[in-house]
Amino acid sequence: MQSIYLSLILFLPLIGAALTFFIKPREIARVVALVFSVIPLFITALLLTTFKSGSGFHFEESYIWISNLGINYTLGVDGISMPLILLNAILCPLTIIYSWGEHKNANQYFALLMILQAGVFGVFMALDFFLFYIFWELTLIPLYFLISIWGGPNKDYAAIKFFIYTHVASLVMLLGIFALYFSTNLNTFYIPDLLGAFAGLDDVMKAAIFLSIFFGFMVKMPTVPFHTWLPDAHVEAPTAGSVLLAGVLLKMGGYGLFRVLLPMIQDMGTYQGQIITIMAFFGVLSILYGTFAALAQTDLKKMVAYSSVSHMGFVMLGAAAFNVMSVSGAMFQQFSHGLITAVLFMSVGVIQHNVHTRVISELGGLTKKMPKLSFIMMAGFMASLGLPLMCGFVAEFLVLTGTYLTMHVFALLAFLGIVATAGYHLWALQRAMFGSFNEKLGDIKDTVSYEWIPMGILVLLIIYFGVNPAPVLEIFQAASSVIPGVELI
Amino acid sequence: MSFTFESLIPFAPELILVIAALTVMIIGLFMETSSKKLLGYFSIVALLASIAVIIAKGVYEVELTGLLAGSLTIDPMSQFFKLTFLLVSLLVVIASIKEFEEHSNQDEYYTLILLGTVGMMIVASAVDIVTMFIGFELASLSTYVLAGFNKNEPKNIEAAIKYFIIGAVSSTILLFGLSYLYGLSGGLTNIDELANFFSMNTELLISPMGIMALVMITAGFGFKMALVPFHMWAPDVYQGSPSVISALLAAGSKKMAFVAAFRVLLIAMIAMKVEIGILFAILAVVTMTLGNVVAVGQKSIKRMLAYSSIAQAGYIAMVFVVVTPEALTGGILYVMSHAFMKAGAFITVGAVCYVLLKQNSKAQDVDHIDNFAGLGKRSPFLAFSMLLFLFALAGIPPTAGFVSKFILFLAVLKADYLYLVVIAILNSALSLYYYARVVKYMYVLPPASDEKMSVPTPYVLAIVLAMIGVLAIGIVPEPFVEWAASAAEVLF
Repeated sequence: MQSIYLSLILFLPLIGAALTFFIKPREIARVVALVFSVIPLFITALLLTTFKSGSGFHFEESYIWISNLGINYTLGVDGISMPLILLNAILCPLTIIYSWGEHKNANQYFALLMILQAGVFGVFMALDFFLFYIFWELTLIPLYFLISIWGGPNKDYAAIKFFIYTHVASLVMLLGIFALYFSTNLNTFYIPDLLGAFAGLDDVMKAAIFLSIFFGFMVKMPTVPFHTWLPDAHVEAPTAGSVLLAGVLLKMGGYGLFRVLLPMIQDMGTYQGQIITIMAFFGVLSILYGTFAALAQTDLKKMVAYSSVSHMGFVMLGAAAFNVMSVSGAMFQQFSHGLITAVLFMSVGVIQHNVHTRVISELGGLTKKMPKLSFIMMAGFMASLGLPLMCGFVAEFLVLTGTYLTMHVFALLAFLGIVATAGYHLWALQRAMFGSFNEKLGDIKDTVSYEWIPMGILVLLIIYFGVNPAPVLEIFQAASSVIPGVELI
Repeated sequence: MSFTFESLIPFAPELILVIAALTVMIIGLFMETSSKKLLGYFSIVALLASIAVIIAKGVYEVELTGLLAGSLTIDPMSQFFKLTFLLVSLLVVIASIKEFEEHSNQDEYYTLILLGTVGMMIVASAVDIVTMFIGFELASLSTYVLAGFNKNEPKNIEAAIKYFIIGAVSSTILLFGLSYLYGLSGGLTNIDELANFFSMNTELLISPMGIMALVMITAGFGFKMALVPFHMWAPDVYQGSPSVISALLAAGSKKMAFVAAFRVLLIAMIAMKVEIGILFAILAVVTMTLGNVVAVGQKSIKRMLAYSSIAQAGYIAMVFVVVTPEALTGGILYVMSHAFMKAGAFITVGAVCYVLLKQNSKAQDVDHIDNFAGLGKRSPFLAFSMLLFLFALAGIPPTAGFVSKFILFLAVLKADYLYLVVIAILNSALSLYYYARVVKYMYVLPPASDEKMSVPTPYVLAIVLAMIGVLAIGIVPEPFVEWAASAAEVLF
C-alpha cells in the first residue's frame, strides 16, 4: 500500500504555483498562494502525530520511472528529514504572508515562491538520487528569477553568479553520484541501497565519491571558501527570496551531509581520519571567517548573510565531531537557524522597505520610530547570538559540547567565534536601533501587520523550541543515533 | 528478384508522403496563392497519417524480402529516427503555414519539405551505401532550395549558396570514400556485407587506400554532422535561412547524418575493431568546447542556437568514442530530445521575428538579442516557451535535455571515459551562461518597445507541440528510453 501524503505535500505547492501564475489580480493570487502553501503544513502536522523517529523510513512511496537504469520515483521521510519538512512547511506560508504587499507582478512572485517550496520539499523527501538531483536543480530556477526580476541594483551579476556557481557544484556532485552508481553496480539509484553497498568499494574510489558529493553540499551550505555567491545573492535578493534562501535552501546542503555523507564515514577506510579533519576544519573556518566578515560589514543585510555562513559552520562542525550529541545538535542548528535567520532577514527587509537604506552607519535610533520592529528584531538578534532559552542556544551548546568531547582544538577555536558573534550582533543593534535618531531619515512608519505577524510567530516558535526543544530534538537524537558509526555519548 | 506490392507495405509512411508531395505539387499548379494555404493543411494531414502508422507499429521489425531486401531495413532504429524526422517536419510545416501564407510558391515549399522528409526517412532505413547516398541527396537537394526560399532576401541566398556548395563538396567526399570501400571489397555495397568482408580482411583497411577511405568517410559525415573542424557552414546557414527552415536543418537533416554515421561508422568500428576512438574523442571534445565557447559571444540568437547545436553534436559524438549499447541509447535519445528542443527554439525565434517584421517591415536583424529584451512582458507565451527550450538545451530537469544528457553521460562514465564526462559536464555548465543570458534579456531587461506581440495560432500550435515533446521525454522517459534501447540493440 503506497502512502500518498508525501506526494500531496510535494505537489500541492506546484499546483498552487500553476494556479497563482495565471491569476492576474494580486488580491486573489496571494490568497490562493497562501491556501496552497498552508495545506502542506497541516498534512505535515498530521504526519508528525504518527511519526516515529529512528525506525527507518516512513510514508514511503515508490513508482518505477526508468526501469532499465533502476530509477524510481521514491519518497520517504525519517528523523533527519521530517523536522526540515516541518521547517519548510512553516516558513513558506509565513514568507507569503510577509510578502502580502508585493505589487510588482505579484502572481509570478508568489508562484515562484511556491515552486521553491516544492523543490525544497522534494529534496528532503527524495530517496532516489535521480529524483534528489532533479529537485536539487529545480530550486535554482525560481530563485534565479526571484533575484533577477525583483532584486536590487546589482541583480544581474548576483543572479547569474548564484546560478552558475551552484549549478557547477551540482554537476560535480552528479559526477560523484554517477561514480557511486557504477562502482556499487546495483543498477539502482535508491539512496539507502547505494550507501549500504558503499563499504565494499576500494578506498580511493570511496574518497573520490565522498569528496565530489561533499563539494556539491559545501557550495550549497555554503562553506568558506565556497561561499562567495551567498552574500551577493542575499544582498540583491528580495526579502522573501533571502528568507527562503537562508531559511531552507542552505539547509539542503546540511541535509545532504546527514543523509548521504555521514553514513559513509564509518566505511571510509584509510582516509577516514583525514576526511573528518577536513570537515571539521571547514566547519571552524566557516564559523570564524563568517563571524569576522560579519563584524566588518556596513550593510545590515550582508552582515546577516555572513552570520548565516558562520552558523552553517556549526552544522558542518557538529557533523564532523560524529557523536550523537554533536550530530543531533547540528541537525537542530539547521532547524533553529532556519527560524532565526528568517526573522533577521524579515527585519532587515522591513528596514530596507521603510527606511530605504540598510547601511548601519546611516541608521540610528530606530526604536523611537519603529517600536514593534525593534522588539521583534531584538528578539531575533538575541536568538542569533545564542541567548539561552532561545533555540539557537540549545543547538550551539549541543554542537560545542559534543565537539569538545571528540575534538578539543576545534571546539575551542569555535568558541572564539561565539564571542565575536555576540560582538557584531550587539554592535549592529546598538548603532542601528539605539542611540539618537538620525533626523536625516525623515518620517518613518513602523512595520505593518502582515509583516510583524509572521515575524512574531517565528519569535514565538524560537522561544518555544528554546524552552522545550524536546519535540524536535528527540526526533533528531533518534535519527542521529542510527547513523552507522556515530558514537553514543 | 521480383517486385511485389506487399513488399512496400512496411514503407507505408514514406509512400504516404511521396503521394502527398506529388499531389501538392500538381494541384498547386492550378491554385490561387490565397488558397494555397490548404496545401499546407493537406501536408499536415499526410504527416500525421505517416506518424500514426509509425506509432501504431511502435518498436517494430520485419524481415524484408524481394527487391528492397539488402538495401533497406525496418528495425527499431529506423522507426525511431523516422518518427523524429516526421515530428520535426510536422512542427516545421505547422509553423510555416503563417510564415509563408502569402508566398506565391508555397506549394513547392510543402512539396520540398515532404520530399526532404522522405529522403531523411530513406537514410534512416538504408543499409546499403548507395541507397543511403541517394536518400542523402534527396533530402539535401530539397533543403538547399528551402534554405534560399525567400529569394528576394540576400541573406537567404547567401545561406543557400553556402549550404549548397559545402553540401555538394561534402557529399562528393563522402561518395569518394564510399567508392573506395566498394573498390576494396570487390563490389560490395551492403553495410553488413562490407563489415563482414573487412573484419576478415583487416589488412585492407590499414592499406593507404583503406585509410584514405576511412578519412574521407569520417570527413564527409563530419561535414554533415557539423563537427568541428567541418562546422563552418552551420552558423551561416542557420542564421541566414528562414527560421523554420533552420529548425528543419538543425533538428532534422543534421540528425539524418547521425543515423547514417551510426549505421556506417559504428558497424564498421564494431566489426573491424579499428581503434579510431581517439580520433573521435578529439573531435567530440573540440566540437563541444568550440561550439559552447563561440556561442557565448553571439548577438544573433539564431547564430547562438547554431553554435549550441554544434556543441550538442559534440556531446552526441561521444557515442563514437564509447561504442556501447548504453551510450548509443543515450545518443539516440539525445537526437530526439535535441530535435524537439532545437526545433522548438528555432520556431520560437521564427515567431518572434515574424511578429517583429509584421510590426515594422523595415526591421533589420530581427533575431538580434536586443529584440528579445522584455519579451516576458511583450509576449509571455513566447518568452516562457523559449525559457523552456533553453533550459532543456542546458540540461536542466525536468526536461528532455536533462534526461538524455543524464543517460548519455552515465553511459560514457560507465565505459570509463571519466575525462570525457568531466569535459562534457564543464561544457554543459558553460552553456548555461549563454542560455541564461537570453533568459535575462527576456525577463529582466525592460522591453525594447511596449507594443504587445500577438502570436499567430499556427506558431502557437507548433511551439506547444514541441513543448509537450520536451516535457514528455523529461517527465515520462520510460517509453522513449525503451525504444531508444531497442534501437541501439540493432547495431550490437
